[in-house]
Amino acid sequence: MHIPDGFLDPKMSGGLLGLAAGVLGYCLGQVMRAVTAVVPKQVLATVGNSLGNIQMAGKRALTKFGEEKVYQMATVAAWIFAAQMFNFPINSGTSGHLIGGVFAAVIVGPFGGTVVIATVLLIQSLFFADGGLMSLGANIINMAVIGSFVSYYVYAGLKKLIPEMASISIAAWFSVVAASLATSLEIGFSGTIGLPAVTSAMVKTHCIIGIAEAVITVVILKLYKGAKNNE
Amino acid sequence: MNKKLLFPLLIAVLAAIFASQNPDGLDKVSEMLGFAHKGVEHPAIMAGYNLPFLGASKLSAILAGIAGVMLTYGIFMLGLYLARKHSMPRGESRQTS
Repeated sequence: MHIPDGFLDPKMSGGLLGLAAGVLGYCLGQVMRAVTAVVPKQVLATVGNSLGNIQMAGKRALTKFGEEKVYQMATVAAWIFAAQMFNFPINSGTSGHLIGGVFAAVIVGPFGGTVVIATVLLIQSLFFADGGLMSLGANIINMAVIGSFVSYYVYAGLKKLIPEMASISIAAWFSVVAASLATSLEIGFSGTIGLPAVTSAMVKTHCIIGIAEAVITVVILKLYKGAKNNE
Repeated sequence: MNKKLLFPLLIAVLAAIFASQNPDGLDKVSEMLGFAHKGVEHPAIMAGYNLPFLGASKLSAILAGIAGVMLTYGIFMLGLYLARKHSMPRGESRQTS
């Protein structure tokens, strides 16, 4: 669902670049807060001189937990990059591939998940020309913010009512359909093609791709956890 | 080699060999509705998931996939390196942020 350059008008892609930068900055800030801790002043007052880092007092420093969290985000991002390469055939000469937003958010949380998907999208666009540069903002909004952040809360809300795997499946399906709806609105309002035509075609196709997203998300979550235990 | 990358690398290699070549949902819709020609691809070193000097072959796709997995993992390692640099200063010169 990576929008190439040319499908959106400059106002749409520019506005979404700004919006994506804002949301991503906020998520990155939340991740930074989670992986760091403020160095207590009292501790450094006593041991600071011997460590030579008295100036760190009151500043945020990476924690042990934080290091593990970054390694985890890196691993999850690598999994998603690889899984997104796997286009599977669906009906009538069309293929689909995983987005992985729910997979990421279930493992590293909504903020981490958004950063992970946005990073994958950045690499795909910069190095592989998969998704445009100007439309990177739109792709981040659709697949990282809607596909991971928003969909995480669908999962979290459903989990209170139904079993976890069922909520993951529904959230994964939702993530693809919601992202396809957002993509249609962006393309439609850019005047590239009629809004009703693109919306109905996109949402219909992605209702099917969403089923695959649900199945693959559950499968690779199990695989991921299995691989973790083997380490 | 980092064991954590075993699965992603395996998936990337399998994807490079077995992935469907059909257009994805958005590409297909753009073809059906006749606006596919409006898409412009910017130049990128591994455009189309192929290495520049190997053309469009399976080997090229496998290597591009491996490169992508490493790049994705690597960008987080770069972030970790920068965060460490600011967190554990060995001397005054590093205490910048």
